[in-house]
Amino acid sequence: MARWGMVIDLDKCTGCQACSTACQMENNRLPGENYQDVLYYTEGKQPTPVLKWFPRPCMHCEEPSCMHVCPTKATFKTEDGVVLIDWNKCIGCKYCMIACPYGVRFYTDEKPLVEPNIKDVYPGEGDLSWNPPYKGPQQDNAHGVGIQPHGVVSKCTFCYHKISKAPKGIADLSNDDAANREFVPACVRTCAPTARYFGDLDNPKSNVSRLISDKRGVRLLDHTGNKPQVYYLSGGAGPAVPSGRGGANKA
Amino acid sequence: MSTQQMKGPVNAAMMAGMAALVIGGGLALVNLMSSGHAAFNTGSSGITWGLPVVGYVFFVLTSTGLTFVASLAMVFGIKEFYPIAKRCIWLALVTLVAGFTCLALELGHPFRMLWAIPTSFQYLSPLNWMGLFYAAYMVLLLLKFQKVNGGDWDSSGSRTLGIASFVSVVIAHGTLGGVFGAMAMRPMWYGPIIPLYFLLTAAVSGAAFAVLITYLTYGNESFMPAKVKNLMKGAMPKVFAAVLGIVILAVVSRTMIGLWSNADGLQVWDHVVASPWYWIELILMVAAFFMLLNGGSPFFPSIMVIISLFIGRYEFLISGQAVPLFKGTWVTGLIDYMPSVTEWMIVLLAVGIVLAGWAFGEKSLNLAAEPAEK
Ligand code: SF4
Ligand code: SF4
Repeated sequence: MARWGMVIDLDKCTGCQACSTACQMENNRLPGENYQDVLYYTEGKQPTPVLKWFPRPCMHCEEPSCMHVCPTKATFKTEDGVVLIDWNKCIGCKYCMIACPYGVRFYTDEKPLVEPNIKDVYPGEGDLSWNPPYKGPQQDNAHGVGIQPHGVVSKCTFCYHKISKAPKGIADLSNDDAANREFVPACVRTCAPTARYFGDLDNPKSNVSRLISDKRGVRLLDHTGNKPQVYYLSGGAGPAVPSGRGGANKA
Repeated sequence: MSTQQMKGPVNAAMMAGMAALVIGGGLALVNLMSSGHAAFNTGSSGITWGLPVVGYVFFVLTSTGLTFVASLAMVFGIKEFYPIAKRCIWLALVTLVAGFTCLALELGHPFRMLWAIPTSFQYLSPLNWMGLFYAAYMVLLLLKFQKVNGGDWDSSGSRTLGIASFVSVVIAHGTLGGVFGAMAMRPMWYGPIIPLYFLLTAAVSGAAFAVLITYLTYGNESFMPAKVKNLMKGAMPKVFAAVLGIVILAVVSRTMIGLWSNADGLQVWDHVVASPWYWIELILMVAAFFMLLNGGSPFFPSIMVIISLFIGRYEFLISGQAVPLFKGTWVTGLIDYMPSVTEWMIVLLAVGIVLAGWAFGEKSLNLAAEPAEK
């Protein structure tokens, strides 16, 4: 069984947000609730402040604190290492949002970040929070895929509706492999400078494993013990993983 | 014991409670029905657990503390506390219902919770244990009240129920402390001492409510039966002051550590102490402490402490989430949060439940009862 993971090369990432846009289209997300976002932030102070950016999906942690705190086991880890939410079981307690160190979970029954609220223009039917004119993947509530229902929490699924259909035993899912391109997560598929790689972390021959060992991949906030399955490459040419989690960092 | 002795504003409390129930409950439900949780000012880029969770923690810990006070008589055999024990058990039930109401209105799927938590049993989740033990506590407390209400204070069954409800609530509040204390990614909450901190603040909360309700029941000291008056002039303020003193130390020490440490996430303490609310919280506590030491009536100190504790719960809950987690330019500084009207209405509803529930008990359940002298 694969253990899916992602590698993001920060030296190649231009902060163009194509990944976020692709994710938004694929998974019907709106601003402020992006499964994938490129965060802009400033590090350092005058006279040497630097504008930086940081692409941030769900880390699909090896030890996901979101899953451990979930009282209903709605948040679970698949055999192939992907952290998902069963929308049929989630009670919307939001403890997982408290417990995720990376702020990548979304409860969307809230005031929209950007007005006007497009969800009011396309109101949802039944339990679903809205009914966009274009819908991405098939609705699969048990894996937290599709339009988010009311009263539950959502997050990046590594495009589970795609990757779960990939041939078993495949080492990497990449645009270079024309036969399997359909199974590549939307953000990886669309990344123009190829800053994103996706593959089996347990396969020593996979491109992702090789990149992590050759280029010394690092994980965000490794001290939390969550052990992300998303690794960042940073050769020091400018971009780097942020030193803090954002906001009013202590100097 | 007859109700004629009670000169306090029980009827007024009933009216106020009903009004709060209707206004708070009505507005909250109308808003929640029409806009769902978008009627809250919480958000995925903002504060996740808002004012209703503050209300939940405030009321269930008050319930915990009231059980502690009742247990002084019923578990630890300190007889002076018998005259208020039954009232404390009833009020513990009422405040617990108020707390659960706040929580239910905050959850995305409160009814789903009823089957999804027990059938999944995620033993790793503090929330699972909190639910389990608070549910057990509620049942035990109800049974205990039923016994006492039937005049059975001392049979072995009744004593066992008293001990069991005490033990269950000690564990329950500990698991609630764990819900916060286990969160290493939220440094303001993190730490093994948080359950203990909850225990202390719960005890103070219980003592303050026990005093307040006793005074409200009788109007003033001159209408109190001798035993109640002795308690309110003797053991009660002493216990109250002792625990309050420790709580003040705990608050100050948390502040000092918070301000001193450089850990990312604790920068919020600068913001906490810059707020006048923090100082109101502290001054009310310290002033109440000295008033209790001076041997005056514990009535005003009880009100001061209740206000202070509510501010403290708010500060704990909201500041603990105020440093954003990787929100980039969506949130540049600390997260701003002002509870919405709907959120306040939920707290008003809970206050209504407490007032009306207490007044109902006072009128119909003979809360002044105590075991017959042997
Ligand atoms: S990044 Fe957060 S949501 Fe994703 S698996 Fe880790 S803890 Fe869970
Ligand atoms: S909000 Fe849903 S997924 Fe998150 S901890 Fe609660 S039940 Fe689990």
